[in-house]
Amino acid sequence: MRSITRGHVKTGLDSVRGAKMRNFWTMLGVIIGVASVITVIAIGNGVKRQVSGQIHHIGSDVITVRPAQLQTGSGGLNSTLLTGLSISGSLSQRDVTTVAQTKGVAAVAPLAIVGGEAKGDNGTYKDGFVIGTTGDLSSLLNQSMAFGTFLSDADSGTDTAVLGQHAADMLFNEDVPLGHSFVFHGHEFIVRGIFNNFTTTPLSQQANFNNAMFIPYDVAESITNNSAPTYEILAKARSTDQTKQVTHDINSRLEKAHGGQNDLTVQEGSQNLAASNNILDLLTVMIAGVAAISLVVGGIGIMNVMLVSVAERMREIGIRKAVGATNRQILSQFMIEASLLSVVGGIIGVALAYVLNVLIRLATSLQPVITWQTVVLSTVVSLTVGVVFGSVPALKAARKHPIEALRSQ
Amino acid sequence: MALIELKDVSKLYGFGDATTLALDEVNLTIEKGEFVAVMGPSGCGKSTLMNVIGLLDKPSHGEYRFDGKSAARLKPNQTAKIRRDTIGFIFQFFNLLPRLTVLENVALPLAYKGITLTRREKMASQMLERVGIQDREYFLPSQLSGGQAQSAAIARALVNNPKLIIADEPTGNLDSGNSRLVMELLADIHKMGNTILFVTHNPELTRYATRVVYMHDGSIIHDEKTALGQVATTARKVMYSIPTITEEDALAGVSALMKALPDKIEPRKRKKSAVSKKSARKPVRRQKAKKQKARA
Repeated sequence: MRSITRGHVKTGLDSVRGAKMRNFWTMLGVIIGVASVITVIAIGNGVKRQVSGQIHHIGSDVITVRPAQLQTGSGGLNSTLLTGLSISGSLSQRDVTTVAQTKGVAAVAPLAIVGGEAKGDNGTYKDGFVIGTTGDLSSLLNQSMAFGTFLSDADSGTDTAVLGQHAADMLFNEDVPLGHSFVFHGHEFIVRGIFNNFTTTPLSQQANFNNAMFIPYDVAESITNNSAPTYEILAKARSTDQTKQVTHDINSRLEKAHGGQNDLTVQEGSQNLAASNNILDLLTVMIAGVAAISLVVGGIGIMNVMLVSVAERMREIGIRKAVGATNRQILSQFMIEASLLSVVGGIIGVALAYVLNVLIRLATSLQPVITWQTVVLSTVVSLTVGVVFGSVPALKAARKHPIEALRSQ
Repeated sequence: MALIELKDVSKLYGFGDATTLALDEVNLTIEKGEFVAVMGPSGCGKSTLMNVIGLLDKPSHGEYRFDGKSAARLKPNQTAKIRRDTIGFIFQFFNLLPRLTVLENVALPLAYKGITLTRREKMASQMLERVGIQDREYFLPSQLSGGQAQSAAIARALVNNPKLIIADEPTGNLDSGNSRLVMELLADIHKMGNTILFVTHNPELTRYATRVVYMHDGSIIHDEKTALGQVATTARKVMYSIPTITEEDALAGVSALMKALPDKIEPRKRKKSAVSKKSARKPVRRQKAKKQKARA
């Protein structure tokens, strides 16, 4: 039995090798189909990763606490995004302590926004914003320092600051303005660290930290007389697998502290991504659907060429039957041929997708990501396409009456 | 038990007014070891008879028993296996697969039997040696002469050591030298005890047969035993009773001449026939050209 199969694989290979041009055209459909499916999914994944990468400045294992939005939308899901008015309250110092006291919390950093303009060597910096936070933030952000170090607990109460890249460029003439100072609310803040560039992408709901100036939380409180709104509290569990439990605990503790009112949103970092991911997933599915249609078209191409091939090779089928090939052996020969064409087409398509990937990276700001799942999926799909669309001509060949087949030219 | 038993076998083609009767209640019994020549004019049902006997086709009516088994009861898979294991086919146009080498062509029936690659190539190679074209193993069929191609086809028919060999005009496409080569090969095989059934238009070739069957309009009109090496007596009569003179008849005449002067005439005759063929074609081409011009 094994030798039969081996013989058939060889026959299939032979006929593929024998008619190179015809087979190339057959495969072209599959090649384009597979390449476009992979590329489209890769672009979708790439955009997703770029967006989530930015949100990932706050790591996906970080728990965020935000005031719940008072939604006055015109009804319907997510409609506030377009038409609704969204108002949010702020968090209090007490909430920060509540979160910090929750069991299993390893790090807590409130983010308080302080209004006002900063004045550096280059004059007033208008685009920037000042955030009051604690030293724990460095462990909650997935970002390294370009120069210096982040604020630490020892810095609390002192007028020190850490800058985002853009803020540093705008405030000072120096390349490395460590030790320089800027004036904010009458205080002179000394720069002790500068962040690496945070990548930015549209669709992100997060503030652009490149423009941010981080100062100690208590300094922010004191210069504003405790009126700086804390818009977000970031926290982290001791270990990643506790994140869910800790999120839940924080939520229930805060609810208790607020007298049973659920006016805060406590989310894991991964949930944070959900909104933009939903849109992107929809887009990916849609475009992949378009690409899948091209795969089907490629499959029909295979079927057509196989039908022509069967018609062309009627005599061969007749001869094979005359020397004793059973219907099943003829069937498997043509099926193997069709699958072979589609698998080879699929492999070439994958290679083409990688080439396209490089070209897209060079030509545009998109950064497509090809995952192995995509490659496996499209190869499996192309094989399925080959088997499904190859079966019609193969059955036609197998069922041909030997005499009719022999007589045809 | 006879190898082949046909009882009132009829074969119809087509429907309604277009129905043709290819075989008309044919009765025929062939024993093991016979070397049967089937003769008759074109369209008399010889090929249909071969196809029915070779299990490539089923009779419309009547009973056909091959090796004791009733053909009507066999399923397509079973007939395929019988064809593979016990019947060898030789065709007028050789019917070698053009993209396979000679060796692969010969090994084809073995592949369908499930014999390993090395073994079947060895067996095919031995068979090619037997038919005398072992040095052409890795040639493609298109690189062979007619005689060599038919030898390869014979090797393919023989490679499974079949009980029955069916040759449908094996020499129909060959010149007289190659015809003789092929017939000598078949005669050789016959000596080994195989049953051979072949169709021919050439009465000359009946000298290889032990029995000659004459067909006309789907029926067997005459059946005679003949001594090996002797042209069947009725063969000539049949030849002369055909009113129209076909190309085959002309060839038959030439080969009769060949028999009278076997060594001297052969090379010259080949040239002559080549020339005559050319000259016969030319006027046709000119006519076509003229027609095309007229159309333009």
